[in-house]
Amino acid sequence: MKPWRTLCIEFSAMASPCSVQMDGQDEHAMRQAATEAVAEVQRIEKKYSRYLKDSVIGRINAAAGGQFFAVDEETRGLLDFAQSLWTLSEGLFDCTSGVLRHAWDFKTGQLPESKKLKEMRALVGWEKVSRDADLVQLRHPGMELDFGGFGKEYAADRAAAVLLRHGFAHALVNLGGDLHALGARALPELQGQPWQIEITHPRPEQVQAGVPLAQLPLSRGGLATSGDYERYFIKDGVRYCHVLNPLTGWPVSHWQSVSVLAANTTTSGALATIAMLKGEHAIEWLNTQDVHYLAVQHDGQLLRSAAAHSLKARP
Amino acid sequence: MTPKNHPKPTPATSSVLLASLVLPGLAALAAFSPMLASAESAPEQTTIAIKYSTYQDSQPGLDRVSVSAPQIYVQAPIAGNWSVEASAVSDSVSGASPRWHTQVSGASRMSDERKAGDLKFTRYLSRAAISGSVAISNEHDYASRALGLDARWSTDDNNRTWTVGYGTSSDRIDTTYREGNTTAVDQHKRTHEIMGGVTQVLTPTDLVQFNLTRSAGSGYYDDPYKMQDKRPDQRNTWIALARWNHYVDAYDASLRSSYRYYTDTFGVQSHTAGVEWVQPVGRWTFTPGARYYSQSAASFYVDPVFNANGTYDLGATFMAANAQTYKSFDQRLSAFGAVTLSLKVAYAITPHTSVDVKVEDYQQKAALHLGGSGSPGLDAFNARFMQVGLTHRF
Repeated sequence: MKPWRTLCIEFSAMASPCSVQMDGQDEHAMRQAATEAVAEVQRIEKKYSRYLKDSVIGRINAAAGGQFFAVDEETRGLLDFAQSLWTLSEGLFDCTSGVLRHAWDFKTGQLPESKKLKEMRALVGWEKVSRDADLVQLRHPGMELDFGGFGKEYAADRAAAVLLRHGFAHALVNLGGDLHALGARALPELQGQPWQIEITHPRPEQVQAGVPLAQLPLSRGGLATSGDYERYFIKDGVRYCHVLNPLTGWPVSHWQSVSVLAANTTTSGALATIAMLKGEHAIEWLNTQDVHYLAVQHDGQLLRSAAAHSLKARP
Repeated sequence: MTPKNHPKPTPATSSVLLASLVLPGLAALAAFSPMLASAESAPEQTTIAIKYSTYQDSQPGLDRVSVSAPQIYVQAPIAGNWSVEASAVSDSVSGASPRWHTQVSGASRMSDERKAGDLKFTRYLSRAAISGSVAISNEHDYASRALGLDARWSTDDNNRTWTVGYGTSSDRIDTTYREGNTTAVDQHKRTHEIMGGVTQVLTPTDLVQFNLTRSAGSGYYDDPYKMQDKRPDQRNTWIALARWNHYVDAYDASLRSSYRYYTDTFGVQSHTAGVEWVQPVGRWTFTPGARYYSQSAASFYVDPVFNANGTYDLGATFMAANAQTYKSFDQRLSAFGAVTLSLKVAYAITPHTSVDVKVEDYQQKAALHLGGSGSPGLDAFNARFMQVGLTHRF
């Protein structure tokens, strides 16, 4: 039997640093699986990037205000999921809210003109999306759809599924901080130990450089973090982050960061974003979702799910 | 066609997790993973039961339920507790989507400032790790391709670690993207670098490290945005680095010292020596330190020329430059020395919270140049840094 070893591939995709790590014995097979996992991530990026004119999203957006657009099975699933999220979050998670970025300029750090914001808000709203089986239509010209809140997370799950299909069940996929763990470590000296995951501190300027917010041993499941610290500006002492409430058009401010651990990364990512949007009601809502979370409130207070019942089963 | 979107949750679909299972591949991921893991004698905590069943509702005259996974039972993730005490090693980082910072490419990929590869394979063996990387970057005026290979391995007792590395890069410099700027048109530079090092635990209180780096480069080294800048088309360097950390039992303190020697075929030679004393006293930690740096000028560095009145003579300086095949006014290629004195004081208010103040005084001038007066006509540069920090571990 060949000895166990770890292979790690780092690459960039979706404008983020990414990696695939796995423990295994057949290096050739590991490389093969990892290369296919990377290709799967690249496939999803190419298919759903809102920046690419010929992506599915690019074409749906280009058709806004006009024809129905026929989509394939995978896209239909993502649209169904987007619709579920909108329903479950009572309209807070809205895949059409991307247009608000035309009103908010995070580069210059200026507050939006109220006229422009009003104009953009009129283009936001999943209720303005018509669907019938595999057909979809954005009813107003200028409307934009994007899978920003769960696309990268979905890619992490799909990449993990590729590794699993190749028979690797001791692996970790990380797409710019959205992680899927497929199983514990398998190296002899680490056997059965979880992967150690650092959670980025939302206010690194307040702690010693490089000190993480927390560490989480993770054997299986999806972990994603949403925060107000990656894209934001501060004006007159108020922080305006890129997580925008579709109902008001304004940035959220209750949480500095929310990390969620769920069975898959797609769920974690969606829940972390919805929690940011839910403001003070986030915890109550997360508790109904059977997940683990670690949240940092605006005042730095740390809230986390009750420990230890890691294996919570439903009847 | 009427829209069918209403934001009213129904009990059957109130879980985001269940909703996610309509996505292709995700239900399979949830269903298969434990089976596979158990076949591989996975760790004991991964025993999960899965029930998988699908359900379709097709009553005539009613809208069909779009989520087709109402009875799926999925495993909860397996994790320990959130540990909010920082510890040393982790495998990955979760945070809000980080964005790449623009990295301007340099020639060398295997120095201390080595950048993350665009694609990097690392293979970890029980006492060794081997990495290969490819990096590509494109700026308006600078395109770079780099390859790297490195390996490290430790002895059985973990007292000695060997490191070797090789890197190569190929750069293209072209300033014509700016209208009318033709100083550099399709210029190239190629660099190879090899590095070897060893870290040895000498005694329970002594750790030493030695690294040697050799690089050889050829091609375009001029600064295309500086006037009268013409440098040789070859630059080979040697860098030697030695470190010694010693724990002094009698004082419960550590002495950290280092020395770095650099030399290249431009004629630049530099020495850097540093020493730090880390002294804990109860809740206090005092770390005084000193660093000395000295470099000689590149052989083609052009000193400014002064006239009889002692004022700078631009014409004469340019004439001096014109007489040389290679020339540069870049101050970083001049001869100078610098001394840095620092003191860091930290106080632990509680075991979890500490405050620290660091004061650093930096003095750079030609006269500090080792064994000589350094390059003339350059202003001395002094700086004082003060940094106050508060560290709190939750």
